[in-house]
Amino acid sequence: MPEKKISNNETPSSEKVRVGVYTCHCGGNISHVVQCERVAKMLGKMPDVVIARTDPSFCSDSGQAVIEQDIKELGINRVVIGACAPSLHEQTFRNTVTRAGLNPYLYHHVGIREQDSWVHPNDPEGATDKAIRLMAAGLAKARLLTPLDPIRLKAEKHTLVIGGGVAGLRAALDIAHQGIRVTLVEKSPFLGGRMPQLESVFPTDEEARQLLNKLIQEVTAEESIKIITQAEVTGLSGYVGNYNISLTQHSRGVDGVTTEALMAACTQETPDEFNYNLTQRKVIYQPYPGCYPPTPAVDWEHYDGKPLQVNGKPFHLKDEPHNIELTVGAIVMATGFDPYEPRQGEYGYDQIPEVVTLPQLIRILSRIPKGEPLTWNGHAVRDLVLIHCVGSRELDGVNQPQADGQVNNYCSRVCCTASLHTAIDMRQRFPNLNIYELYQDIRTYGRGHEEIYRRAQNAMVRFVRYHGTELPEVLPAPAGDTHPVLVRVKDYLTRGKEIEMGVDMVVLAVGMMPRQIDDLVKMLKISRGTDRFLLEAHPKLRPVEMSVRGIVLAGTAQGPMNIQESLSAASAAAAKVAVLLGQGQVELPPFVARVDESKCNGTGACVEACREEGAIAMQTFKENGREIRRAVITPANCTGCGACVGACPNRAIDVQAWTLGQYEAMVDAITMEIPAILENVS
Amino acid sequence: MENFNVDTLVIGGGIAGMQAALDLADQGFQTALVDHEPTIGGKMITLSKVFPTLDCCSCITTPKMSSVAHHPNIQLLTYCDLQSIQESDSGFRVAIVQKPRYVDAHKCTGCRKCEYECPILIPNPYDRGLGAYHAIRVPFSTAVPQTAVLDMDNCILCGKCEKVCPTQAVTFTQKPETFEVQTRTIVLASGFELTPLEAKKEYGGGLLHNVIDPLMMERFLAPTGPYGRVLRPGDGKEPTSIAYVQCAGSRDQSLGVEYCSRVCCMYAIKQAMLISGALPMAEITIYYMDIRTFGKGYEQFYQNAQAMGVEFIRGKVAAIHEDDQQNPVVKVELTEDGRVVERTHDLVVLSLGMVPSPGSAGILELPLGDDKFISVPAPNARPCHTTRPGIFVTGTAMGPMDIVDSIISASSAAAATSAYIRAHQNGQASPKPQEEAVYA
Amino acid sequence: MSDEQVSNVSRGEMLKSLREMHAASVEQTQALLREQKQMQQSICQIIRETPKTVPEIAAEIGKPSHEVLWYIAAFKKYGIVVETGKCGDYPLYQRAKETQA
Repeated sequence: MPEKKISNNETPSSEKVRVGVYTCHCGGNISHVVQCERVAKMLGKMPDVVIARTDPSFCSDSGQAVIEQDIKELGINRVVIGACAPSLHEQTFRNTVTRAGLNPYLYHHVGIREQDSWVHPNDPEGATDKAIRLMAAGLAKARLLTPLDPIRLKAEKHTLVIGGGVAGLRAALDIAHQGIRVTLVEKSPFLGGRMPQLESVFPTDEEARQLLNKLIQEVTAEESIKIITQAEVTGLSGYVGNYNISLTQHSRGVDGVTTEALMAACTQETPDEFNYNLTQRKVIYQPYPGCYPPTPAVDWEHYDGKPLQVNGKPFHLKDEPHNIELTVGAIVMATGFDPYEPRQGEYGYDQIPEVVTLPQLIRILSRIPKGEPLTWNGHAVRDLVLIHCVGSRELDGVNQPQADGQVNNYCSRVCCTASLHTAIDMRQRFPNLNIYELYQDIRTYGRGHEEIYRRAQNAMVRFVRYHGTELPEVLPAPAGDTHPVLVRVKDYLTRGKEIEMGVDMVVLAVGMMPRQIDDLVKMLKISRGTDRFLLEAHPKLRPVEMSVRGIVLAGTAQGPMNIQESLSAASAAAAKVAVLLGQGQVELPPFVARVDESKCNGTGACVEACREEGAIAMQTFKENGREIRRAVITPANCTGCGACVGACPNRAIDVQAWTLGQYEAMVDAITMEIPAILENVS
Repeated sequence: MENFNVDTLVIGGGIAGMQAALDLADQGFQTALVDHEPTIGGKMITLSKVFPTLDCCSCITTPKMSSVAHHPNIQLLTYCDLQSIQESDSGFRVAIVQKPRYVDAHKCTGCRKCEYECPILIPNPYDRGLGAYHAIRVPFSTAVPQTAVLDMDNCILCGKCEKVCPTQAVTFTQKPETFEVQTRTIVLASGFELTPLEAKKEYGGGLLHNVIDPLMMERFLAPTGPYGRVLRPGDGKEPTSIAYVQCAGSRDQSLGVEYCSRVCCMYAIKQAMLISGALPMAEITIYYMDIRTFGKGYEQFYQNAQAMGVEFIRGKVAAIHEDDQQNPVVKVELTEDGRVVERTHDLVVLSLGMVPSPGSAGILELPLGDDKFISVPAPNARPCHTTRPGIFVTGTAMGPMDIVDSIISASSAAAATSAYIRAHQNGQASPKPQEEAVYA
Repeated sequence: MSDEQVSNVSRGEMLKSLREMHAASVEQTQALLREQKQMQQSICQIIRETPKTVPEIAAEIGKPSHEVLWYIAAFKKYGIVVETGKCGDYPLYQRAKETQA
């Protein structure tokens, strides 16, 4: 062994270190660049290495079996695997070595795919040399590894669901069905989210509100679900299994006795966001008949604070927010979406009164009694244009960037079917109405959706295909024209012919944007993708989990989805929560700070450096009649960041499995001449 | 095989079935996973890389297969057919036939000595018939379980395999064995098949060697594929001009497949990108009617492919024939300018769609939708519930979907199934808490 | 089924009776095997010294090129044939060096 000072933190076990080194081809991902056999050969000559192997994919069952067998038969007691990034399969191999009877932390994972073969595809020699160094460093570390136990903590069998839309409701119900308590918090005074704003849902043509009410009934009948409306998360601490949550709940403002009189007395009005501001409502309101909870609520944001006159007496409405504290084991993010709000002038929006969005059109249609014609802005609608992909599939350099400088380059996936579904409904209700769909690609991908496309074609909905680089234009028609609005578009179904049509109404099929939840994102330390939606940990391995453990995703907070997809995602989230909290305990990795009592002399530098609450504290001990101050770690609160390690003047503190001694050994190995590494050992 | 009881029986060991089984087993439910193939992994294990992240497929699939195999709460039943199902007091009694492997699964170590000794070569279905394996073989190197299986229909009973086997595992006299599983619930994850190449008569009806299906291209692009590189199967030429014909067998009333198969746009674009990497000089054309890149990150993927130079041509492909050099000639109506042109390529991939796998639906007596996939009566309320209480459906058994959607659907089916079990367990103390610490 | 005690004599008899039981498929497969052996011989002979492309091999032995490719793929998988460079757009194949027994 090289003459290397080993810090006291590592207590080399009495048994001799026997290392197995495994270099994975990763099905060609690594071996197409790195000469894995050479890596294995070199590593095989290094100190304490008993066996060095390669395999097309060590993560496969047969590959794992090789490692297991070596541990059992060759007495391997340290394992080094060079493969993909640890984020992908470190856990897989921890399970492998555990099965073979070895402590899972006596294995070290070296990323030679993301950190080597993928970044040096044109330099096989250099990549191979780098792989050898990285593996040698991994080996140097592995030789100093000591057995560790994960930190096991009691987990609260209680989940917080943030968002009371269809996804949040479904997740809450499914989690409750697994025997786990749920608190569902909704920012607005009513449950249901965006779903009640729809009328009928595709592809079944069921009444959206009927479906929703059934779900709400099931949720409210469930004793283990507590619903808190008009509330927001205002504080968070803790970790998976034990999140401490503060909620702030606003007053409803009215109660059973005073409700009707107050509603009658209320005269102040505000735009009704339920109808996308097309209509007005009172500031004491119910969004729609049959909403839940049925009690009206005061819209504190818009209430002007003036007292109401009830029975000739002034009555003051008052919001008295109060805090609610709870501890939960997991959090479901079901914060939902907002329809894209076109900027002023985009296709004439907010300038030409005939231009509305598809969600607005659905509200308009819901307010027209059966049998009556479609009129808008005071005139009959004979010709209507629907423009697809507004706020979706945007291109840099073509579409104007939004406030954050980005364009929405994603597809919102529901708008095609929603547009066609609405068009069919209109053709049935208003047989003389001409409908033109201006689209790029019709994306009726879902089960039963293509049928909707066919029905729309059969219903004589007309189609015009535009290119994303040549957007349609919407202009006010000159005075005296037959129609109030002109639409110009190049139609690629008729060889790119320029069409100009006079229309009475323009409907923008707007896409989905994530809800504005900056505060929550910051508080929970979770990540968003470039599309600004919440980002899953891995699209295939952990598609509804976030990288912060214990936080899962449900519904459109993650990306555009229709109702069916939101339900599926919500149930999937519930399954993950059930797995996580079902046993009543969670395991945290043992990569936390540890104090070497023999070296700590109580400077307290670590406490000052620590950024986590309650992770490290000074305590006074009595030893041999003397009082000694020493740092004490609370592992559950420690994130293993290592700030304390750097601060300690006595090298008395280390992060387990990532000790200074191990780092030094790794750096030495990486920088050593390769022949020297070999020499050093023999 | 003895009869046994479980909380749930998952039918199908593809990605959806594996995920559903893992999610249920992780909650402590006793789970049996049955597959008619000799290995689990389904269609996904035969793919090269997966969109939109271009992760290598085996990096995602093989560890899942391994987790299934090692899970203390999962009983793996491969190479088994369902025979019958009867409703019983506490769920279902399912009769299952273990087909003979002619190899003792307990003795076989997967060393493959038999495979190397066997003289017969037969088309390897895991390579869509374009590669070969022997009449006795481990299906592929990452198969789970690593147990050899002998194809008696292609065996001359020479006895070489039996002789060479170090553990005397080869047993020519094995017979089918029937056993019963008593289960509270069933999760159907029976998956999909591709529309056969033969179905599209106007595209050569499967007779043109250089008109292939997309799963063949997956094999060419996979490191373990039949040629180890992209070659056209007609004559082993490295193609320099490759075309994709979208909606070949989907959105097609003449075939009775009126629905969109929803994965074809993305797999065509993905394969185009991977081919560009493997054959930088190749020209790739995609003939399409609508590009449907609707999933998370998919539109960006499409834009990247356009930027990489993949040619997207909107047009209806009327027919494909072959010239005297075996080159497929595509007759296409270009909808953007109305011309009908003929273009010659080295290789054409028909972006065939998904049709339901035959089988289990009949035995389970589940009604089908117009699209022949398992009917889901309340998609907007209970997306995984079938018409029969206690039987749930997931993945592509309920319609075309991609891997991400299948995995989410599987977890969702697991939630529905576990809720059902808990609601019907009459005070019995299942699930059992796991004794071992599971690091997952 | 316990086969461990089956002696060599009865093993032969058992195989014989099994062959009778599966007579139809055995006969068919034996024909297939003869064809495969023939193919293997002719292909390997042609590329023992000089590497060739699939169309070249196909022309020499008078078999369709897609069939030849199937055999080449099989032989490559089991180490009988190796790829040795390219001729135009076609990879070249050669008989692998036979290992000494």
